[in-house]
Amino acid sequence: MSRVQIEISLGILLVLITSSIILVYGLNENNRMADLAEAQNARSIEVGAALFDAQCSRCHGKQGLGIPGVCPPLNDRHFFDDRLKDVGWSGTQEDYIVATASSGRLTSTRPTLFTGGGTPAMPSFSDRFGGPLRDDQIRNIADFIMNWEPTAQLVEIAQPAGPGEAVGTDINAPLPEGNAAAGEALAKSQGCTACHIDAPTGPAWLPSADQSGIGDRAATRLTDPTYTGAASTPEQYLHESIVNPNAYVVDGFPANVMPQTYGDNLTSQNVADLIAYLLTLK
Amino acid sequence: MIKSESMQNLRQKIAEATDKRVRAITAGLSLREIQALLRGDPPTEKPNPRYKFHTISFLAHIRPRYYEKGSTILTHTFRLGFFTSFFFFVELFTGLILMVYYTPSPEQAYNSILNLLSNVPFGQVLRDLHRLGAEGMVIFTFLHMLRTYLTGSYKKERSFTWFTGVVLLFVTLILSFSGYLLPWDQLAYWAVTIGTSMAEAAPLFGNEANLILRGAPDIAANGLLRFYLLHVVLLPLAAILVISIHYYKVSREHGISQPAAIEDDLVTPEVKKEAKQRIDFIPDLLTHEVFLTVLGLAVMVFIVTYGGYHAPLEHVANPQVTPLDTEAPWYFWWLQGMLKLGDKTLMGIIIPTILVGLLFAIPYIDRNPYRSMYRRPFAVGIGILGVITLIVLSYMGTPVYKIQTPAATRIIQDLAPEEGVGELRAIPFDQLPSGVYEVNKTPTERMCPQLDFGCPALEKVFTDYTNRVNQAIDGGALPEGQAVLVIEDWQQDLKKVTPRIVWQEGGTTKTYERQIFLHHYRGNE
Repeated sequence: MSRVQIEISLGILLVLITSSIILVYGLNENNRMADLAEAQNARSIEVGAALFDAQCSRCHGKQGLGIPGVCPPLNDRHFFDDRLKDVGWSGTQEDYIVATASSGRLTSTRPTLFTGGGTPAMPSFSDRFGGPLRDDQIRNIADFIMNWEPTAQLVEIAQPAGPGEAVGTDINAPLPEGNAAAGEALAKSQGCTACHIDAPTGPAWLPSADQSGIGDRAATRLTDPTYTGAASTPEQYLHESIVNPNAYVVDGFPANVMPQTYGDNLTSQNVADLIAYLLTLK
Repeated sequence: MIKSESMQNLRQKIAEATDKRVRAITAGLSLREIQALLRGDPPTEKPNPRYKFHTISFLAHIRPRYYEKGSTILTHTFRLGFFTSFFFFVELFTGLILMVYYTPSPEQAYNSILNLLSNVPFGQVLRDLHRLGAEGMVIFTFLHMLRTYLTGSYKKERSFTWFTGVVLLFVTLILSFSGYLLPWDQLAYWAVTIGTSMAEAAPLFGNEANLILRGAPDIAANGLLRFYLLHVVLLPLAAILVISIHYYKVSREHGISQPAAIEDDLVTPEVKKEAKQRIDFIPDLLTHEVFLTVLGLAVMVFIVTYGGYHAPLEHVANPQVTPLDTEAPWYFWWLQGMLKLGDKTLMGIIIPTILVGLLFAIPYIDRNPYRSMYRRPFAVGIGILGVITLIVLSYMGTPVYKIQTPAATRIIQDLAPEEGVGELRAIPFDQLPSGVYEVNKTPTERMCPQLDFGCPALEKVFTDYTNRVNQAIDGGALPEGQAVLVIEDWQQDLKKVTPRIVWQEGGTTKTYERQIFLHHYRGNE
C-alpha cells in the first residue's frame, strides 16, 4: 500500500473511533447534566451557608431559629408551609426569600411578634438597593434557606409573660426554687441556641474542648478584674446576663446584640429554672 | 442490458454530464483523474490537472502545489506549524458554537457557563475542547518557533515570515489571555486583574493604558465587554490576516525550509537530489493534512471525554475577595517571575519590550549564513539559555517561589484551598462524623468507631494535618501551637468543617481558622 492509501485507511478508522467515543460518551450526557445541576445547587448551598453566617445569622440565628421578639425563625415549619399564604405571596418560596432579602422590610409585617432590628425592620441586602450583596449571592442564601425545608420543625413563638409575673431587671430580687429540667426545656424553646452556638459542638454553655461549662465560667468571670456588672454570686451573674445583658459583655463579643427584653418576657420561675439548669454545667 | 446505438449514446452523454459536474465540484479533476490519484498513478491529462486545480479554485490557490521531499521529513518539522493552525480552526469552530450560549455581562457570564455545563448536551465537551485547543495553540506556537529557531529556518528569504510568526505568537497569547476572563470566575477575574495591572506600569501613559484595557479602574462590565470583543472579533480577524500572510509566504513563496544539512551542502549530491523531489499537494499533502486533522481531533476528543481534562471553573468573580495563591495563566508565569525581581516598570514593561524587539529582529541581527546547528553554536547557545531562563522565570512566577505565607494560613490553605478541591473537600461526605478532633490528642487511627467501615479518608487527612502542624511547631513557626478540626452537622446534607490553629506570637494568642461548608452532592471536579 502507498502512504496515501495507508493514511486514508487509518483516517477512516480514526473517524470511526472518534465517532464511537462521542456516541458512547453522549449516551451519558443527560445523567452528566443532571449530576452537574445537582452539584451546582450543592455548591450554591455551600456558598449560601457562609453568606448566611456572615450576613443573616446575627438576627435570624446561626441555625435560622430566629430571636424571639426580634427576628422571625426561617428554619421553621410555619415559614415553609404557611408564610406565603399569610402574606398573600403569589410566587415561589425561593422568590419570596430573594425578594425579602434583596429589598428588606421598612416595617415589620408582624410587629407584635417580631419587631425587627429597628428602622428599617430588616435592611436591604441587594447591592441594587444599597446593600452589600450581589444578586447571585442572594440566590445562594435562598438556596441555603430552602435546604432547611425538608427538616424544619415548628418553632414555638414565646409569648410574653403576663402582667405582674415578669421578673424585671433587678438581680437582687428573690427567685423561687429552680428546676434544672424545666430550665433546659426553656433554653431550647426560647431559641437561645439561635445565637449561643459558637462552641464547636452544641450550645455555647456546654463544656467544650478548651472551656468548662457555663456554671464554672460564671463563677470565674465574677472575679475577673474587667467584670463591670453588679452580681456577687454565680446565680446573680447568670440572672444579670439574662435580664440585663449589657451590664457586662464578655471580651470579644459586641454589646447590644442580645435582646434586652427578657426581663419583661420571662417570669421569676422561668429565670430560676434557667439558672438552675445552667449551674449544673460545670 | 440493451446494447443499442441510442443506448450507447445515452451512456456516453451521462458520462460526459457526470464528468462535467465532477470537474466543476473538484475544480478540474475528472473521475478518471481521481481514480488515478487513489491508485497512485501519474496524472491522466496534460496540463497536469493536479496543478491546474490551484489556479482554478479560490481555496486551493493559497495551498502549495508541492513541497520538496526533504522539507516534509517528520523529524524536521514535527508538523508543529500544521497543528498550530489546526488548533486555530478548532478554536474558531468551537468558539462560534460557544458564543451562542454566552452573554458578556458580569451578571450573566458565569451563569452562561453553568448553564452550558449543566443544560447543554455536549456543552462541557465543547468548552473543554475550546480550552484544550487554546492551551495547545500556545504550546505549539512556542514549539514551532523554537524549532524554526534551532534549524535556522528564519534566515534570508524567510526573515519576514519569522517576523509575522512573532506577531502571531503575541496574537495567540493575547487571544488566549482575553478568553481567560470570559467565564467570570475567581480564577479568570484575578488572573486578568494581575495581567492587566502590567499596563499600569507603562511609563507616561500607564494610567490611560489601564483605563482603555479595563474600561474602568477595575475590571467590571466594561472590561468584560472589551475583552469579549477583543476575543471574538478583533484578535481572530487579526489572526486570520496574519496567518494568511505567514502561510502564503510558506506555501507559495519560499516553501518549508529544507533540513539544514541539505541546504548547507553537507550531504552527497544523491541525497540532495532526492530531497529536492516534489511531493505534490494532490494527493500526498492533502491526504496527510486530512489524516493529521482526524488524528488531532481523535486525540482531543479522547482527552476531553475519557482523559479527565476539564476546563476549570471556580466560584463566581468577587472583586472584594482576592483568593490566596492567585496567579497569572501559566504562559505568563515568566512575566510574574520577572516582576518579583525588581521594579514593575523596568521588569514588567521595559525589559519585556526590549526582549520582544530582539525576538522580532533575530533574522536581521543574525548574519551567520549557515543553518546547521553545529555551525552556529552561539545562536543555539542563546536559544537553549533562553528556554532555560524561561523555565526558571516561570517557576519563579508561581506562588511557590518567594511568597511568604504564615505557617497556619499555609497549612489550612493546603488542607482546604479557597478555590479548587484540596484534601479536605475530597473526603467522602459519610466519612465526616461530627466532633472535635484535636491535633496530638485525638488518635489518628480508628477515629470513627461508630462507622461500620471507619473513615480512612478522614484519618489520612487528619494525619497529614497533624504532621504539618507538628512540623511547624518543631520548626518554631507556631510557638505553643494547638490545632483542632471541628466537624459540625449544619443542615441536611451539609456539614461545617472548621480547621483552627492557635499559637502564641509576641505575647498574644493568635488564631487562624477557616470555615468550610461541605455539601453531600457537591461533586468534586
